[in-house]
Amino acid sequence: MPPINRRQFLKIAGLGLGGALLTPKVACAAANGGDPNKHIGMLYDSTLCVGCNACTVACRDWNGTPVELDETGKYDMPYELTADTWTLMQIYQGSEKHAFVKRQCMHCVDPGCVSGCPVHALEKTANGPVTYDADRCIGCRYCMYACPYHVPRFEWDETLPLIAKCTLCDDRLANGDGPACAEICPTGALIWGERGNLLEEAEGRIAAEPDRYVDYVYGKDEAGGTSVFYLSDVDYENLGLENFGPDPIPKISEETGNLVIPTILIGGPLVLAAVRSISKREGWEESWPF
Amino acid sequence: MAVLSKTKKQPLSAWFYVLAVLTTVGVGLSIYRLVVGLGPTTNMSDHYPWGIWITVDLFLIPVAGAAFTISLINYFYGREDYHSIIRPAVLAGLLGYGVVGILLFLDIGRWHQFYNIIVPPLNYHSFLEEISLCVTLYTLILVIEIAPVFLEKWGINAPIKWINRSIYIIAGAGIVLSTLHQSSLGSMFLIMPYKLHALWWTPALPVLFFLQATYTGLGTMAIVLTLISRSRKIPLDRKLIQRIGQAMGMNLVLYLAVKGGDWMGSGEVPLLLRPDGFGLLAWLEMIIGVIIPLWILFSRLVVHSRGPFWAGVFALIGTFINRLIITWIGLAEPSPISYMPSMIEILITIGLIAGGFLVYSIVARQFNLFPDHQEAH
Repeated sequence: MPPINRRQFLKIAGLGLGGALLTPKVACAAANGGDPNKHIGMLYDSTLCVGCNACTVACRDWNGTPVELDETGKYDMPYELTADTWTLMQIYQGSEKHAFVKRQCMHCVDPGCVSGCPVHALEKTANGPVTYDADRCIGCRYCMYACPYHVPRFEWDETLPLIAKCTLCDDRLANGDGPACAEICPTGALIWGERGNLLEEAEGRIAAEPDRYVDYVYGKDEAGGTSVFYLSDVDYENLGLENFGPDPIPKISEETGNLVIPTILIGGPLVLAAVRSISKREGWEESWPF
Repeated sequence: MAVLSKTKKQPLSAWFYVLAVLTTVGVGLSIYRLVVGLGPTTNMSDHYPWGIWITVDLFLIPVAGAAFTISLINYFYGREDYHSIIRPAVLAGLLGYGVVGILLFLDIGRWHQFYNIIVPPLNYHSFLEEISLCVTLYTLILVIEIAPVFLEKWGINAPIKWINRSIYIIAGAGIVLSTLHQSSLGSMFLIMPYKLHALWWTPALPVLFFLQATYTGLGTMAIVLTLISRSRKIPLDRKLIQRIGQAMGMNLVLYLAVKGGDWMGSGEVPLLLRPDGFGLLAWLEMIIGVIIPLWILFSRLVVHSRGPFWAGVFALIGTFINRLIITWIGLAEPSPISYMPSMIEILITIGLIAGGFLVYSIVARQFNLFPDHQEAH
């Protein structure tokens, strides 16, 4: 992440641009969703997972996403998340050990996709899931770029395509049920509950068996924290879980907006009026370089 | 470009028919794309959700920014000698924004509810939303600014008086909206700190994009004026084009200072020396788009009419490289699947831009875009 001096630089530049000083209001999208530790989330313990794929099948069943057949009509596991595959099981094969990893939407505490979506089609609900409203979506695909985890996918083959991604089974949570994938997991590798409790559980497991785990719960602070946590015995980078800083993805974008937009809206007309009044004076033409 | 010059008496040139054919092909393919969707017609994918259309949009907007830069100099710096080029600049700006608007409509997947972009609840935290609102309003302002060209021909004089009386408010609003959305095009990438390459991702993106829009707009004006004077056989206003060159040079210096300051301040200079292609691209972009134009503009070449013209050409190429990197090459996802635009994407892009030139040439033939020059003849 950039050092502070770049941000200070931006502020100075922004001031020069508009010529007005405004106190930036620091935005916090997380505030929309209440206390993040009360959000519903999931904990995936890679060391307990046997890669049976019951979770991916349960996901297809509940969400009605079709299996992806190859050219010969046979089904195989997709390589990556797609518009029809909202959760995915992958294996990391290292030289000494292997590890499973389950991919799906991370349901960030302060999601980039929600901050970027121009029309509020993507929303962080009060109890945690990041949900999608097809009636609002214009299909601009900004969310796909705003998500650092490469999660939102697009129905490229449809005439009027939808953005597709895991919703944490928001429609099951309403009835008090858990996400379909977590409820079916036969080994207990995937559990669901309140974010705060899951974090406590994860840290408890590390404390109880420090030799078994990498000494860190992935998702605790990544890009402002996620509602899906990971435990693993191999480095998270190997599982494709990148090392993001603690700042939420929308932070710099929203702070810049809060500073630059009012500065230009208020400062712009003032500067124009000043330039115009100066330019009416005698001798102005000679003193101006162009 | 010869069509820019046609006066009423001249016959239609071959260029006119070429543009008409290209436009027709583009419009036909656009309708096809709307009917069958993006998958069968473009090479965009989950790995490259944006393609050549976004690159072209982000290039055309600063080019069309010529209108706002000229408005600023004419109405607010009080340089009356810019007045003769206000009308062609505003018309070119409007057509540029028109092409961008149509391209964006084709680009969004769910075009049947495009109006959601201005129907609440809107997300004011989203720079994309802010850009959409600004561009929509600014296009309306350009329509008002250009309206007298048509109204005077049709003899509807009442609105012209009203527009002339409030021209400072209209032009001023246009300048503020342009400053907002030209800078916001850069801010749009602030939400991708882990996706856009470090040499291009910086909190200074809005400042860089704004400065780039000003010198690119001025460069466009230098090119257009030179071409118009050559094809219409009107002697070039040397003082005017020299002033445009100087204004452009000033903005290029500012851009170089911010860009260089950012690279040094954030310790990214070593990335410039890394032999991985990105360092090379950054050098290419800076040399073609900034260093060469500056060299031209600060040498004796600036007093020749060709000086600002060539500075403009190089600046535009540099801006195109910059937008190509920011929307495409520098945003590449870590995947083996790459993107090249499909033939349909390319033909639609060419067709719509050809349509812009076509409309310009028709308006230039039928209406009075150069009132000052008309009197001189």
